[in-house]
Order: sequence, then structure tokens, then C-alpha cells
Amino acid sequence: MDFSRSDIQTMLLDSAERLLAEDSGAEYWREQRHNTLGFDTERWARFAELGWLALPLPEAAGGLAGSIEDVALLNVALGRALAPEPYVSSVVLAADILGRAAPDGPAQQALEAMAIGAERFALAHQETGIDPLAGEAPGTLARRTGDGFVLDGAKLLCLDAPSAHQLIVSARIEGEDGLALFLVPVSAEGLSLAPYPLIDGTRAADVTFRAVALGHDALLAGSNGGAAVLAAAIDRAQIALMAQAVGAMEAANTVCGAYAKERKQFGVAIGSFQAIQHMLADMFVAANQARSMLYHALANADAPAETRQAAISAARIVIGEASQLVSRSGIQLHGGYGLTDEYAISHYFRRLMCIEKQFGDLNAHTARFGATIFA
Amino acid sequence: MELRLEPELELFRQEIRAFLREVLPPEIQERQRRKVANNAAVPDQLEWMRILCAHGRSVPHWPEAFGGCGWSPMQLFIFNEELYAADAPEFDWGGTHMLGPVLYTFGSKYLQDRFLPMIREGATVWAQGFSEPGSGSDLASLRTSAELVGEKYVVNGQKIWTSGAAHAEWGFFLVRTDKTVKPQRGISFLIIKLDSPGVTVRQIPQINGEAHLCEVFLDNVEVPADQLIGEPGMGWTYAKFLLEHERTTSSFIYWSKRELARAKDIAMREQLGGRRLADDPAIRARFARLEADLIALEWSVLRVLGHESSETPEAAAASVLKIRGSELQQEVTMLQVDLLGAKSLRYFEVAPALPPAPTLDWPDYVPGRTAVALISRAATIYGGTKQVQKNILAKLAFGL
Repeated sequence: MDFSRSDIQTMLLDSAERLLAEDSGAEYWREQRHNTLGFDTERWARFAELGWLALPLPEAAGGLAGSIEDVALLNVALGRALAPEPYVSSVVLAADILGRAAPDGPAQQALEAMAIGAERFALAHQETGIDPLAGEAPGTLARRTGDGFVLDGAKLLCLDAPSAHQLIVSARIEGEDGLALFLVPVSAEGLSLAPYPLIDGTRAADVTFRAVALGHDALLAGSNGGAAVLAAAIDRAQIALMAQAVGAMEAANTVCGAYAKERKQFGVAIGSFQAIQHMLADMFVAANQARSMLYHALANADAPAETRQAAISAARIVIGEASQLVSRSGIQLHGGYGLTDEYAISHYFRRLMCIEKQFGDLNAHTARFGATIFA
Repeated sequence: MELRLEPELELFRQEIRAFLREVLPPEIQERQRRKVANNAAVPDQLEWMRILCAHGRSVPHWPEAFGGCGWSPMQLFIFNEELYAADAPEFDWGGTHMLGPVLYTFGSKYLQDRFLPMIREGATVWAQGFSEPGSGSDLASLRTSAELVGEKYVVNGQKIWTSGAAHAEWGFFLVRTDKTVKPQRGISFLIIKLDSPGVTVRQIPQINGEAHLCEVFLDNVEVPADQLIGEPGMGWTYAKFLLEHERTTSSFIYWSKRELARAKDIAMREQLGGRRLADDPAIRARFARLEADLIALEWSVLRVLGHESSETPEAAAASVLKIRGSELQQEVTMLQVDLLGAKSLRYFEVAPALPPAPTLDWPDYVPGRTAVALISRAATIYGGTKQVQKNILAKLAFGL
């Protein structure tokens, strides 16, 4: 067991510190909120220059073949900086699915375009009434035709879809059981996208497919393997998001510690009150346990599916609870200012809440982990 | 960063398991598993130390020159985990993990030669005399005095919460040797034989029926001056050293993991309305939370053992372990009690003998659960209360 950073990890974190410090989190975020995409495409290009967009991609696609630990450490930095960029959707989630598809098809080109920052990707999976973690067959339907497939259906809350060039869509293939995955350009005829912001300033969209014609090679994973491919990719995305949550919590604690020293009431800094000190201590304990759980998830990232999912759900429980404690106490500690857009803590609160409810909330992960305990 | 366990460690674990199967006497194991009290029976504890010592494994964490095994922190972690999982009697922590390290780090050769073998061989259990009636969290205010008269210290005062003093032949004490300096500077670390004239030990009946904690009265007790460890006035430094030396001990991670396994066993065997408690969604959710919290604690322990670099001092991580470790001890024991429902209310006599033979109504997992849960309320009090730990964290992690 070794907790020290490799050379590439040190380089990544140095570059992250430099780039992300240029535009401090909440300020950058406030600016970008009015941008249609919710982030600055020029900064996305810097991500590409720094190799971040190629980090976990296979070498054959121009990637750096970085480890999940590398990805996690970078995401801690992104979370610390409240980066609203669609990093996880593209470079973690979509990249994982594309990396498992046939290497001679469009997936390879997609990865190459991703690595240089030319294209972004998002997952279109969620549907009303369907558990996103269960891998059950979605309502969206793909019918086989002579040329390939025709896709019909509707998806909601497709995270980062408004800035994506291509979507990875889950669908049931007519006459087959299970879940298949398709690569669909956002520009495809019959695809329409209704974008909206989330409370943390990131973007999502509801997407409808009306007789969208797809070639044979749009199929990334068939009915027999799609659910497992999707589950594995979602688990990787969850690890990256948990890393962002850890970064956000640690940064929130720093912000709160500084505020407790600077804010004066009754003639003294509020940090001199034991009630405030103990609140901060609880927040520190929570963030510490959250980071520990990130390591647990990382240690099991490549374990067999059952073990991996149990580890990730356990981690989501601890990190979800910690996120709530840190962000809620953080606002309380700031008093009225905690509720303003001006103070960073309200942004950390919103970001942590968004992470907590993606890919299964606390209840879902508690149930999923609980089911493994007496198996 | 490499977060997976090295494969050699799995082999080491197998070796330790086989070793324990071979050397741990089944009757000791059975008494441990079914005991009503929180603390092991002293004869079993000492017998087990003698067995471990015969195999050179009674103080594996000590330097090899003093009888340690030269194991890595991870090997020690696995060894401890397997000891608990096998229901082996606990170490006499006061001797093996507190006094021992202070002695081999600061003690004279005379003291090392005299006492280290006693600890290693399980000759006696040790009493730890730190707290006083007026000095709990504010330990540095302690007043028990030791005055040098010729070749002897004359000790006067009173200690409280002295675990196991009724069965211990020896104790290590913090005493005030200088009243003229800053409180922390006037404290020394003294070894006292408990059958010395002037020593009175009184057991304190506890909430769970045990009387493990004691009061120790010291009335003109004469102690040879060479039983003072290191230098006079350095006692506070040594006490801090011993608390910091075992940064991960207070996590009780091995103990709580075993108790979680016991809770699972209860949930699978106890039924309500024709259904195992384990199949109740609310109970499952509680297990999910607790097990996840324990995994987090375990990784926090591993991070300290692996000396992960951090912007905050390592002592902050130790306080985190103490806070979470003590909270989870309480949660896991209260979960056991809750699983037993009203059955948890029956009082079982705390005695060295085994509890009554199990029946269908009163299975073997009932006696002892409540006794342990009750005394586990102490976990957030001893060794620095939860509130003191939070004060420490506010200072170390936030500079407040």
C-alpha cells in the first residue's frame, strides 16, 4: 500500500493548481453561468493541451493510458475548483464505453476527437421510472432496418448533453432482451434536445429521438453486453464524481476555516467559540472519512462487478453523508452570507448536492450496499 | 499511489490464521467469545501472553532487539485483525502498548532489563494511573505528589479510573515531582508496585456490573528513586509520546469489525414475524451505513499507517481515528442491543464463569451484548474525550 504520488500524478496536480487557480472557482462559475454551455470552451482547449482530456484514453487513440487513480486525483482538483466542465461525462464515462467498443469503428475516431478536445460526449440513459443503476431495459427502442437501426424514445436529465457533440444512448433492441448502447451525433435528424441548467450551473437536457436513423456501426454494445458495459462506465464516473466531492468538501472546509477567523461577533472572531470549533472539527472528520472512502472505491475499481459495485455504493453512502454534513454546516457557519450567491460556500453546497444525487442517491446506494451484506 | 494490498500480505494473513488455529486454546477462545464482561479474564489474558511469548509473538510491534517481530505496519495490522477475529484475549494494552514503548525509548537499561521481560512474558497486567478525581480532561492539573527523600520518592495522592488495578501487581503513574514550575513541566513518570505499603485499591462498581475501573489511594508510599522513568519533569512528554506512539490503536478498528460480524450473526439468527431481522429493509439500511462507516475508518487507519502526506499534522488524523473509532464502537454495540430488542434488558451476572447454557429463547449471543454496550459509553470519554479531540482538531486543522 502506497499513498505517495507518482511523477505523473504530481505533474497533473501541479498543472491543475496553476490552471484552475487562474480563475478562482466561484468567480469563474458566476461568469460562465451566462454562457450557453456553462463553461469556457477556451479553457476546455487548455484541458486538452495539458493532456487532461487524453488522460485515461488508450494510447492507440492518442491517449495517455492513465490509471483511475490519476483520474481521481485530477478530479479532486476539479472539485476543489468547482470546475463546471463536462469532464466526467466525456473523459470518464463516455471514454470508458467507447474504449470497450470495437476498435475499428466510429468509437476509435470518437476517442481520438475527444483526446484533442475536438468533440465532447454525454450519456443519454435516464428515463422516468427507470432505476439508472439497475441496467434494466429502457423504454427507448431501436428497431433493426436494412441499413442499421431506427431509434425512438425520450431521455431526461442527460448531464452535459447541451455541450456534447455525440451522445451515448441506451435503448432496447426490438425483439431482444437487455440494454444496448448506441453512438448518436447530436446533429442527427429526428434528435431534439431541450437544454436547461442544473442548480450548480452545469447543464443537462431532455432528449427525444423520433425515427433517428443509425448505421450498423452506431451500435457500441449489444443487448447481451450493454448493461455490464454501462454499469462499469457509470461506476468509473461515480469514482470521478466522488473525487470531485472530496475536493469540494476539502475546499469548503478551508473556506469555512478562513471565514471563522475573519468574521467577528461580540468583538471576537467566531472561530474562538467552541460551538463553531466543534462544527469545523465535525466537518474535518467527515471530509477525512470521505477521502478514505474514495481510496476504498479506487482499490476496488477493477474488482469483479459485484465487489466493485458494493465498494462504490459503500463509498457513495459515506461521501454522500459527508457532503451533506460539510455543506449544510458550511452554510450555517456563514450565517446569512452562506445563502448568498456572493459567497463560495453556497456554490459548494449546490455542487455537492448535484453530485450526491447523480447515478443513484443515498437511498439507492444504501439499499444496493445493504443487499450485499447478507447475500 | 498503489491502493491494492500486496499479495504477499494475503499469504501472511493465511499464516497468522493457521498459527492461531494451532496455538489459541479452544477453551480460552470459548470463554472470550461468550464472556459477559467487556474485559478478558486476567488469567486467560496472561496465559495467552505466555503462549504468544513462547512463539516470539507477544510484542510483535516492539523493536526486534526487545523481542519484536520486525513486521511492517501492514503485517501488524493483519496480525491484530486476526487476533480479534479469532476471539483471542486482548493484549494488556497498558503494558504492551503504553508502558513498553515508553520504557524502551526513554527508560534506563536497569528498568528495561527489569520490566520489559515481565511485559513480554505476561508476568502481570499493568495499571495505568493517570486521571485523578479533579484532573480528567485537564490532566496536567494532576496533584498526586512524589517527593524525593534520599533514595526514595514518597508518593501521596489519589488516582481514579485506573483500569484493572485490582488485578495488577504493578502500575505506571504520572506524579508531580515539582510544584514550582509550569504544570506540564513538573510531572514525572513513575513505576509503582501496587502491594507497597500505603497503596489502597478500591474497585468501582460500573454501569454494566463489572468493577474493572478502580480508585487508587497513595498514602506516603515509598518508591525506589530508580523506578522513575527517564528524567524528572519529563513525564508529560512521555505520556504524550505514548499516546502518539499508538496513533491508530484508539480506532478500535479490529474490535469493531469483529463486533459488526457478531451483529450480522444476530441479525441472521434472530427472527421476528417469521422473518430474519437481516431481511428487514430498515435494519439492512442500518447495517449498510455502519459497515460503510467502518470501511471508511479502516482506510483512515491505513492512511495513518502508510504515512500519507497531508497539509495537516498527523496528530489531526489521530484525533479523527479516536472520534470515529469511539463513535463506531458505540454504534455497533447499540446495534447489537437493538437487534435483541427487549431480550437485551435481561441482566446477566458478570463473572469469570460462562453464562447460563443457551436455550432456544436465550441463545448464546444474548449474554454480554448489553454489558459491553453499556460500558462502551466510556469510549468517547477515556483517552481524551470526544470534545477534547474536537478542540485538538480545531487547533491542528484550522489553526483556531
